[in-house]
This record gives sequence, C-alpha cells and structure tokens, in this order.
Amino acid sequence: MAAVYPPDRHLLRDLRFTFDHDADGRRSRAWMPVVTELCTDLGHARAGALATLVDVIGGGLAASAAAPGWIATADLTLHLVGAARPGSTVEARAEVLRAGRTTVVIEVALVDEDDHDVGIATMSFAVLPRRDTNPEVALIRDSPPTMAAPDSRLARPLLDELGVDFVDRDRGIIDVPVIDWSLNSMGAIQGGVVATVAEVAAEQALRAATGEPLVVTDLSVTYLGFGRVGPVRSDVDVLGTGAGHGSARVELVDAGAENRRMTVVHAVATRGLG
Amino acid sequence: MNEREDSGAGRDVGRYMGVSMRETDELHLVGHAAVATHLRGPGGGVRTGALLTMLDNVGGLGGGLAALPDGWVVSTNLTARVVALAHAGPLRIDSVLLRRGRNNVVTGVQIRDEGARDTLVASGVLTSAILVPENGPPQWSRPLVLDTAWQGASTQPLPPIREWLGARTVGDDSVEIDLAAELRNPWGILHGGVVATLVDLAAEHATDGGWTTDVVLHFLAPNRVGPVRASARVLGRRSDGHVLRVEVRDVGANRTTALAIVTAAATA
Repeated sequence: MAAVYPPDRHLLRDLRFTFDHDADGRRSRAWMPVVTELCTDLGHARAGALATLVDVIGGGLAASAAAPGWIATADLTLHLVGAARPGSTVEARAEVLRAGRTTVVIEVALVDEDDHDVGIATMSFAVLPRRDTNPEVALIRDSPPTMAAPDSRLARPLLDELGVDFVDRDRGIIDVPVIDWSLNSMGAIQGGVVATVAEVAAEQALRAATGEPLVVTDLSVTYLGFGRVGPVRSDVDVLGTGAGHGSARVELVDAGAENRRMTVVHAVATRGLG
Repeated sequence: MNEREDSGAGRDVGRYMGVSMRETDELHLVGHAAVATHLRGPGGGVRTGALLTMLDNVGGLGGGLAALPDGWVVSTNLTARVVALAHAGPLRIDSVLLRRGRNNVVTGVQIRDEGARDTLVASGVLTSAILVPENGPPQWSRPLVLDTAWQGASTQPLPPIREWLGARTVGDDSVEIDLAAELRNPWGILHGGVVATLVDLAAEHATDGGWTTDVVLHFLAPNRVGPVRASARVLGRRSDGHVLRVEVRDVGANRTTALAIVTAAATA
C-alpha cells in the first residue's frame, strides 16, 4: 500500500467526488459526475459506482458522529429508482439517523440536478474504541472539497480499472485483484468496490438465469471481513426470477486468504431505470 | 429463563407466530412454523410481516446465543428478500452465525417451505448489537429447545394479523397501532417483529395492496409509549414493483424509531 492515502492514482480521485459537510456533524453532501465509464450497457450509472459515493460520504459522516470513537462499516444498502445518465451529476445527501454508544446509522438520499429521486441508501456502523492509527475526524471534515487532481479521471471503464476477470459469467463467478487503486485507508479493498464486485457477479448470473438484459438496482451488503490479499472471488446463488426481475445472494471471499468470507450481499436486478 | 418458555411475559408475539426452535448444532438454530390461517394475507401466503417476525425470532435468538456469556442482543437491522409468495407449510427457519464481533453479531436466516419440496421462501440477514442486560444475560439450557406454541389454540382461532395488532389506517399512506401489552417483548418495548409487520402493512396500504418482497429495516430507537405509526412514501416504480421509504414513529414519544426501504410487488 502506498504511504500517502489516497495515492495519486486512486478510485477516490478518479471518480471526482466533491464534498460539503455541515458544521454540526449531522449532515454531509457529495456530488459525483456521471461518465460513460461508470455506466452499465443500459446507459445509466452502475449501482456499484453509486454505492461507492454512498460509502465515502456515509463513512465520513459516521466518523464524525462516532467521535471520539472510531467506526467499522457493518452494512450498506442501496435501492435505485431513477437513471443517472452520462453528463449529469448525482448528489448524495447524507444524514445521521442514530448515533448511539454501539451503532451509527446513516441515510443517504440520491437525487439528480432537478431534485428527482435517483435512489435511497442506508449504512450502519459499529462504534469502536479509537486507535492511534485512525484518521482524525477534523482532518476529514476540514479536508479540501475534493480529492481529485486536475488530471484525475477514469481512463477506462470501471470494471477494467478494477481488473475484473470473468471466470464463469453464467454462474456469476468473477475474480477481482486487490490493488492500490481500489484500497481503503485500512489497506483493504474499498467498501464501494466490494459492492461493485457483488453487483457485477449478480448481474451476470441473473442475466443468464432470466435471458434478459437486467441490471442490478438494489444491493444489501453485509460486511463480515476485509479483503486484503485477493483475488476477491464471488459465488452467486440465484434466489428467484420473475418477468423483468430477479434476485440473488452473493458471497465474496478473499481467495488469497484461505477463502476467508468477506461479504454477504442480496442483490435485485430489474429491466433498468427510467 | 428456562428451556421451555411457555408462559413468560413478553412472549405473546412468538406464540402468535407459532415458531418452535431447536439448536441442532452449536449456534445453528432451526425453527418451524405452520402456515396458520391467521398468518395468511390477501394473496393466500403467509404475510411478509409474519415472515420477517420469524426471521427476527430465530436469527435474534441465534445471535443471542453467540453473544453469551458476554451479553445478550438487540436487533439493529434486518434485510430480507421474499421470493415465494404462496406457501404450503410447514416452514423451516434456519439461522447460521455469519460473524461474531466485539459489539455485534450477524446471522444469516433462510425460510424454506417443507411442504413444497423445500422451496426457498425468504433469505435474510439480521444484525444485532451486544448489550449487557441489567440483570445479566439470560441463562439457557443447551442445546436450546424452545416451544412457543400457543396453549389452547385448538379451541379458539386466532385473529388475523391486522385485527390482532389493532391496526388502523391513517390517510392514504400510514398505518397505526396502539402499544398493547401483548405486542411488547420481554423488555417491555414493541416487539421488532411487530415493527416489521407494521412496515409491511403500511407498504401494502400505500400501494393499494402491493405485496412486500424486499425489506431493509433499521431499528433506531425503542417504541415505549405509542401509538406507533408507519408512514410510507413511494420513491419510484420499477419492473419488480414500487420502492417505498417507510418511517416508523412513536407518536406518543415524538420520535422516529425505525426506517425501512421496501419493495412492494403488484399482486395481480
């Protein structure tokens, strides 16, 4: 892992997020420009890309809410209802719903430039004792409004940047390496990227199961352990299918760490978003 | 608390749902429930609210056993996907431990229909926070056996869920209940399964009869006073149904107590 986080070339720079935090530590906002490299073949932003936006803004806000303690992400859920298309900007409005002794819960509304609903997300966090290695909350809140450098951008489609290897498309088995570009500050694969891996795996399996070009519109991600070694490998169980939709349970393991279980995800795929 | 808890205060919700449980391997709980008439919804299958209560019951107890001897658990969030809307029964509810952390426990729970060749009915994940109750964690004989069947139920049919809860609609988007004694859990607050059922009823009401197929439910605070109201707002419509945001409030305490994101499919 690079000494400075994030390194010059990193997901969090190349997605060109910008941030704004309220002084009271109860609300934050973030914006993500939608580019074609983030989109599915149906032409709207991937659930995983939006989950990454949610993960970053929700995590920062939760760290503020848990101070002086620190946090570990327990789960992230995302339900999409509107298409975010290339050339537009998605705004994430995060709010603390609960800041207790053991848990923090965040709600994130996703809207487009006309204030139309794009989706809704939630995150919950376990509150932990602070360690010396944890970032200072003030550094997060007082950080520049963007991590993007002038030349930051996705040079290739997101899945190519992540190095997704489609081992068996019909069964939704994919391998994704753990690389500096997609690490979090703890040296493990970033939470939004984990959601993206599960999204892609579920999409492949559900397209095969239904014969329809479905895209994932819901993700319920439960984080169980870090992916530090790689590759991250998916295993998909199609739960059910109907006309125009399907659902799947995805397990991700760190194949390089004796197949340690990282994540359980429930995903729903539909015919896309209007 | 002993191994056959048939008469303890705060056990009425479990008895109404009729879930019995056995610990088959260490920390692996298996529950069973009949597809009882009083649990069925307008579509004929067991209401999603009842399925969620079963997930919460079995997953929560499994999580509690994993938390011992340090403490006991309180549910913090439940996610579930319902994939079969018609049920023959009996239903089998399997809970497995996914993670036991310092201050929370995660259990995976699935419901299968033994009367329909073990068809998957629902798949969920329950996260619970570990707390230390005032009088210490409950004591159980292991392996755990819990029979919550309602004694004497054979002579008197139980009322359907909406009637049992005393649920009433408020406007076009809300459903409300009073905090009756039999709806409380052993700690005196509204049972998590009842909160889930209230969310299900609100989604059904706001979508003119939609059937809840997907739920993310965050328990934010206890309901202690009542009435308790669930208000649904439709966010959008997709090929699998309506997506709604449902907020639960303890009206008497003037606070939000739960937030749910629900998908409700058309039942036609």
